[in-house]
Amino acid sequence: MNRSITPIPEKRLTFKIPELKSIALANGIEVSFVRKEKLPIVYLEVIVFSGSRFDPANKKGLGYLMSMLIDEGADEYDALQLNEEFEKLGSIFSVSANHDTIILSVLSLKENFERSLELLSKIILQPRFDDKSFEREKNKDLSMILQLKDEPSFIASSAFEHRVFGDTYYGFPEIGFEETVSRITNNDIKDYFKKYFSASNSKIVAVGNLDETETRDLLNKYFSKWNSVSGNEIIFNQPKRTKTNFYFVHKTDSAQSEIRIGHISKKLDTNDYIYARIMNTILGGQFSSRINLNLRENKGFTYGANSSFHYYKDSGLFEVSTAVNIENTGAAIAEILKELRGIRENISAGEIEFAKSYLIKQFPSRFETSIQVAKYLESLIIHSLPSDELINYTKKLELASDNEVIAAALNNIFPDELVVVAVGDKEKVFDQLKNISGESPIELDIHGNVIT
Amino acid sequence: MNKNLLRIDYEKYSLANGLQVILYQDKSIPVVAINLWYRVGSANEKEGRTGFAHLFEHMMFQGSQNVPKEGHFRYIEEAGGSLNGSTSIDRTNYFETLPANYLELALWLESDRMGFMLPGLTQEKLDNQKDVVMNERRQRYENQPYGLAWEILFSNLFTQDHPYQWPTIGWMEDISKFELDDVKKFFETYYAPNNAALVIGGNFEKTKIKELVEKYFAEIKKGNSIPVISAPQQSLKEIKKVIHEDNIQLPRIYLAWHTKEAFDIDDAALDVLSDILTSSKNSRLHKSLVFDQQIAQDVSSFQYSAKYAGSFIIVSTAKPEVTLETLKEEITKGIDKLVKDGITEDELTRAKNSIKSSYIFSLQKIELIADHINHYNFFLNEPDSFVFDLARYEKVTREEIVETARKFLLKPHVELNVIPKVK
Repeated sequence: MNRSITPIPEKRLTFKIPELKSIALANGIEVSFVRKEKLPIVYLEVIVFSGSRFDPANKKGLGYLMSMLIDEGADEYDALQLNEEFEKLGSIFSVSANHDTIILSVLSLKENFERSLELLSKIILQPRFDDKSFEREKNKDLSMILQLKDEPSFIASSAFEHRVFGDTYYGFPEIGFEETVSRITNNDIKDYFKKYFSASNSKIVAVGNLDETETRDLLNKYFSKWNSVSGNEIIFNQPKRTKTNFYFVHKTDSAQSEIRIGHISKKLDTNDYIYARIMNTILGGQFSSRINLNLRENKGFTYGANSSFHYYKDSGLFEVSTAVNIENTGAAIAEILKELRGIRENISAGEIEFAKSYLIKQFPSRFETSIQVAKYLESLIIHSLPSDELINYTKKLELASDNEVIAAALNNIFPDELVVVAVGDKEKVFDQLKNISGESPIELDIHGNVIT
Repeated sequence: MNKNLLRIDYEKYSLANGLQVILYQDKSIPVVAINLWYRVGSANEKEGRTGFAHLFEHMMFQGSQNVPKEGHFRYIEEAGGSLNGSTSIDRTNYFETLPANYLELALWLESDRMGFMLPGLTQEKLDNQKDVVMNERRQRYENQPYGLAWEILFSNLFTQDHPYQWPTIGWMEDISKFELDDVKKFFETYYAPNNAALVIGGNFEKTKIKELVEKYFAEIKKGNSIPVISAPQQSLKEIKKVIHEDNIQLPRIYLAWHTKEAFDIDDAALDVLSDILTSSKNSRLHKSLVFDQQIAQDVSSFQYSAKYAGSFIIVSTAKPEVTLETLKEEITKGIDKLVKDGITEDELTRAKNSIKSSYIFSLQKIELIADHINHYNFFLNEPDSFVFDLARYEKVTREEIVETARKFLLKPHVELNVIPKVK
């Protein structure tokens, strides 16, 4: 046989996009629902629009600590009993907190879903917040903060984000700082909960082996007592980009330097996020991207390098991330800067075709598990995208023109307005950074504050 | 629970060159998963030549006779697929999940590197991937807090002549020394169809697929017989204590005992034992150390079992101002109490229920099912072992769990203390 011929694909398969239903509960909560029948599994999450955006400046980490406490006892169960009830069912409860939301979820077998939902409703409606749990979890939180001093990748990301977002609520880590968490009292936790955990401030996503009526009835049964409170909006002051600055954080005995390069970008914008995604796929969004092939497969500087757009509710972040052997810190940064200029100067039709093919054809594989489907719906909700975005997504990709992708590079990548952060040994990285810019790089502490 | 859910309707056969083929059809999904296990891992290496199985895995992505460097990734990504490979002590796997109509592309890519990898090999590619792997070692181990603990632990738990003594990534100085000729020899020795098993899962036509597998893999030549691994029986005469200084804030203790290999009669009981000790807030050691006494920041444990040996490991991080001696004392108390007073029916039920549902949850991804099929085929020579495997856990009794704790955890062990560097 002739092996030099690449096999061509058979006829393209048709893929049925999951059918998204919107259900309104008696108390007004909107539920995004997708039925998935193959396995006896249900995943449900409650999205509460809270998160660290509402942390007071002197008590950063409040939302995060509340998320650690919310499942430490509810209604008739103490912390251990509550956990035991989930374990009896083999159901997985989890809670996560970021800047914009706190999300509480259960993954369960269908036969145990109702009971799992009942437990989830107790956690959301009747958490205990007892003082003993508060002391224990706060203590654990403070030890976690202490341990993060050891994590070069965490230090790099939080210093970088602080330089990009400054003192706005996206400019500090969700977990907060030692001084700010120390100040938090159990009353702060209870107040925070009362203020933000309300029906009017929440949405629900349910995916799994249930029908629409069952889902509505069960949710009405367990969440009808959840009340609404009046709105809590705050205004985000988008910081401006400034001319490129080079920073470093000193970390003794580093085996590598952790590098973050990027700038603030706009929040998810339906007018061009599809084109920006195609452009970023070419730049650093997949293995075969310019940045990864250059830094890893050509230079051998790193195990991997990538670029991405992170979308928050009110803003966005463009970030290139990698870790390189320390001797190549300067060379790696110079290559990344070259790639950021390069993507604005030239993108070939072949590259665009390749990226579109990747994004369009991988679409069906994003709906394999209940959690994957739910996370997709969650992103529609958080970024206020219309539900037909699900249906139109691949069509929009197909229709994207080369000029629109090229424009997305010009409108979203700003190589002269970057924040460049390297975490590593000062004596090894200082001169390497200086050689790129001609100026001495600025030293930061581990939180991203300039050391003067 | 419906047992049929876990029955895998498969077909297994071998080609004349010895390649095992396992087909698992599921036409309800739009994708196909290809999963190839080569029966070679870091246990096939020798002292002074460690890390080669893993470095070789990287070289398998550097192209072959008809696939250029980076081509493997490009073809699969352009098709909207995902791909990777991984190396463990016992085996190396390669896998890709693609839209079902691209199945033939994956067979072409996998067969080209199984049969015709060497013509694509160059010194430049090897030098590049040595740099990448050395950076992988730095990123994943050397520059991570506690990152070197595992290799220190295992190199002390196993004797020098045991193939589980070194880390899969290899020692840094060994990685730097490999040469082109090593790649050739390794390929010729281990990357033969008679040392591999190919699982194809997902949406395909049964008659068509056999023709395609024949077309792409049948002409690859059978290799010689595979060198046998010798793994001497391990036991510790006395407690061995090792101290390692690291850039960390909180000290951490690691305890390791020799146990039994994967699928041994004691293996499932040891898994359940680890659940009862540390898997949840209510588990024995978590409740005692983290919840009630608050002397530990975290505690975890597991039965780490592989083809030639197994070990039981407990890890715990001390809270500020707490010594590792205190942690060890409390862990020992917890084990002694379990051995003396036994466990409750309730504890056992909770552990079993969690294991059962996590099995069902794992059936959602075809990539995981395909890898599981290969896993069962490798260890049990029976791909459809989901029901058997789950039954191992369902059958475990309270007495058996206590007995395994007594049998293994009261014996000498290795204790590793990772402590903050004195500045």
